[in-house]
Amino acid sequence: MTKSRDESDAEKKAHNPSRRKFLKGVGIAGAGAAVVDKLWIEAEAKEEQSANGQTLSGNIKVTLDVNGEKRNVQIEPRTTLLNALRNHAEPAITGPKLVCDVGTCGACTVLLDGKPAYSCLVLAVDATKKKITTVEGLGTPENPNAVQAAFVEKDALMCGFCTPGFVTTISAYLKKNPNPSMAQVREACKGNFCRCGTYPRVFEAALAAARSGKV
Amino acid sequence: MQQQQQTAPKPKKKVKVTRVVNGIEQEVEIEVDADSGPGWGPNDKHTLLNHSMTRVDGPLKASGVAQYTYDVRLPNMLYARILRCPHAHARVTSFDSSAAEKIPGVVAVIKGPLPELRFAGAAVAAVAAKTPEIAGDALRAIVVKYEVLPHAVDAKSAMAPNFPRIVPDANGVPEQNLHEKQKRGDLPKVEAAFATADAIVEADYISLKVHHACLETHGIVVDYSGGDTATIYASTQGTFTIPGDAAAQLGLPETSVTAIVQHMGGGFGSKFGIGTEGMLACKLAKQTKTPVKLMLTRHDEFVMAGNRSGSWQKLKGAVKNDGTLLALQARQYRLGGIGQGSQAGQPYIYRFPESFREIYALHTNEDSSIAMRAPGHPQASFAMESLIDELAYKIKMDPVALRKKNLVDPVYHRQLDRGAKAIGWERRNPIAGGNPGPVKRGLGCAVGTWGGGGNDQCKVDVTIARDGSVLVAVGTQDLGTGTRTFTRAIVAEEFGLQITDVREQIGSSKLGGANSSGGSTTAASLSPAVKDGAYKARLAFSEKVGSLLDNAKPEEMTFRGGNVSAKGKTITWKQACNALPSAGVTARGVWRTELQATGIHGAAFAEVEVDVETGQIKPIKMVHVQDGGLPLNRLTMESQINGGMIQSLGMALWEGRVMDAQLGMQLNPGFGDYKLPGTLEMPELVPIIDDDDKREAVIGIAEGCIIPSLGAVVNAVFNASGVRVRELPITPDKILMGLMSD
Repeated sequence: MTKSRDESDAEKKAHNPSRRKFLKGVGIAGAGAAVVDKLWIEAEAKEEQSANGQTLSGNIKVTLDVNGEKRNVQIEPRTTLLNALRNHAEPAITGPKLVCDVGTCGACTVLLDGKPAYSCLVLAVDATKKKITTVEGLGTPENPNAVQAAFVEKDALMCGFCTPGFVTTISAYLKKNPNPSMAQVREACKGNFCRCGTYPRVFEAALAAARSGKV
Repeated sequence: MQQQQQTAPKPKKKVKVTRVVNGIEQEVEIEVDADSGPGWGPNDKHTLLNHSMTRVDGPLKASGVAQYTYDVRLPNMLYARILRCPHAHARVTSFDSSAAEKIPGVVAVIKGPLPELRFAGAAVAAVAAKTPEIAGDALRAIVVKYEVLPHAVDAKSAMAPNFPRIVPDANGVPEQNLHEKQKRGDLPKVEAAFATADAIVEADYISLKVHHACLETHGIVVDYSGGDTATIYASTQGTFTIPGDAAAQLGLPETSVTAIVQHMGGGFGSKFGIGTEGMLACKLAKQTKTPVKLMLTRHDEFVMAGNRSGSWQKLKGAVKNDGTLLALQARQYRLGGIGQGSQAGQPYIYRFPESFREIYALHTNEDSSIAMRAPGHPQASFAMESLIDELAYKIKMDPVALRKKNLVDPVYHRQLDRGAKAIGWERRNPIAGGNPGPVKRGLGCAVGTWGGGGNDQCKVDVTIARDGSVLVAVGTQDLGTGTRTFTRAIVAEEFGLQITDVREQIGSSKLGGANSSGGSTTAASLSPAVKDGAYKARLAFSEKVGSLLDNAKPEEMTFRGGNVSAKGKTITWKQACNALPSAGVTARGVWRTELQATGIHGAAFAEVEVDVETGQIKPIKMVHVQDGGLPLNRLTMESQINGGMIQSLGMALWEGRVMDAQLGMQLNPGFGDYKLPGTLEMPELVPIIDDDDKREAVIGIAEGCIIPSLGAVVNAVFNASGVRVRELPITPDKILMGLMSD
């Protein structure tokens, strides 16, 4: 497998029916296709790693490309990307939240080469060759992206702990589909949970961000 | 002889306020201090309050830079984890942590406080290590041997007279698993009334334990490296509940411990004090003289961080054919695990001329239930609203009409009318399950109430600096309810400024005192004190700047649009602030009872679709009409009403703790199996603020708006399918079973 792969390559693999079927067959289907998509990226990443034929152990230095900056972290190979960002990067990157740690809630969603992934299911060592974008990389309080601005405008957040995950997922989705229907928005973020009850306003915010044409 | 200091009583004045007395809203006269500032004024005359304001911490949260307790990372900080007991009831017979302690990176292992473990998940030990991964290794390396004792996690086993007692009372003597908490009413009179009834419904209503599922788990970061002070970052609903608890564990004076709560990821009633996890974290920090972070894992959170108690209610209700409720008999079991559980007494908000109730707590080997958004109320409301609905169908009366006939408070009447219109109640088929085709729609309704008044614990400091900046500071916490936003807005409005002209500082126990956010008391406790502080700061400010406005008196000055005017003269806010002394002016506000009230009403309606071939239920639309006096912020109030509807819906259709009776363990301690409402399940949600409520007073609504939707959904399912499911959540199997037994 080549070290870097372009978008069209990735697209092709993502639509390989037999692999997709396999993932569904092992019982992930219940968690929804969005999860499958995200798991799919992990599965691919693993393949890539093992193709290198390398066994990693001990405390190793890993360089991550996060929000356009190279970040060195000293970690054990088993460290998830989420924990590497939160517990090892200097300064800490805590936008992605640790909520379930097993890929069921979406609060830790980051973008790997522009595609949403649960960072609790990705090993940091498997993310070294990817461009990692966290919610902080999408915009700042002073200069938010269209989705972040719409979340504030529509009150699509309450306690805010699920917000980074939703913002990241929706930001990526609107790039793929700039003019989604309500049903498509619901489908796009079905891998994210909120407990306070912001869903209706999350949908409104996503649609408003799309309408703004600034995505 | 000691001279008793005589202080002249503060002069008083009388003001008229609206209060709910015996369930009816009425105007009453109360006495307040004569020097109290003015009231809020009419609800429709505000410039910022009662408008839709985006929340001031929104940009921080949407860009991921808001710092939560979970995000705190201190130099050298250790990560702690808890070893949980795998048995529902056990005693530790041997404990060996030597292997764990040898793992590089493991810094400390401590044993938990309890000799006997009464539920699966109880803390046995805690470890602190350099990384959370190593802490996990340490847990796996600890060898514990248990003497396994008999357990019961289901109500019926625990109730059996010969079953071992589960919980010791305050004196250490085991109390009966089933014990009476309350008995009220006249049973012979109730029975006599039953004899005169046209219709009687007798049924058991059951709800499972449900979980708060706060996305930020419980936990704290203890910043202590030895020495005589400590700072505690806590995910808590009560900033001021933390220092005392932590100080006791650290052996420090309470005043030497500071609690910090900048942002917190949900509480819903479950986060007061430092809890078991906080105690263990403090002990580890004390032992290692190193900062320690202990956040529960999601699994921990499910099995040891509390839950909404389950309920089992045996109700018998009677009605006359004209809809007059006659009598109610209720036997209520609170299923609170090793705790006492919580359940409002029946007949809840309805009035039966004769009623009799017995309430019991029933212990099982499960972690203690704790407060959850309107503790005990959704359970009681679900049972009573189901019963009322069943009675309505029995006498062939419209459920809205039956409620109106028996609810004396006219507020419910207007809310039921408003909600009925919004949902399209006229479309309702009076015959349950009577619509054609396999996919049937149905409508249901219910009503609810809550207190929501405040208390006098808040001390708010409002400071205006010479550069024109304004700070409002109080130690309170914002749970995501919008506390920061309304705190700013009240001060901004008082001074005719924009919300962005004011900064708030909250979430520190070093700031002015504040109450915990429980019982929907935050808004009604805090907002009067903020208003009082703003008013007093305005007086102090006006005295200083009067010289710039022809020596105008404070009461002659108006503050509008960033300007200060008096005697026909107008200067800008900044110009006025130039007249302040270098320290600016600061005033401290305290609670004023006349600025808040208690007693709210809500009416909920739901439309659902039931597929009678598969049992699948799809919520289509929910409407909730809610009063709350003066809405401080319409946008965040609507969000809270949405949240109430969604959490209520979850409890109705999907959520519930599932226990394995044999193993005594929870089978669904994670989001993969515990079914939270998700994006695909969302119906159309219509939050309606009842602006016919003209009370010029702030009332908390967070809990009121979770109560009635549950009954509305359950009743809609019946109307759609003809199947009365009396055990929550209403899963498809229960619909199919019901259809088969027809």
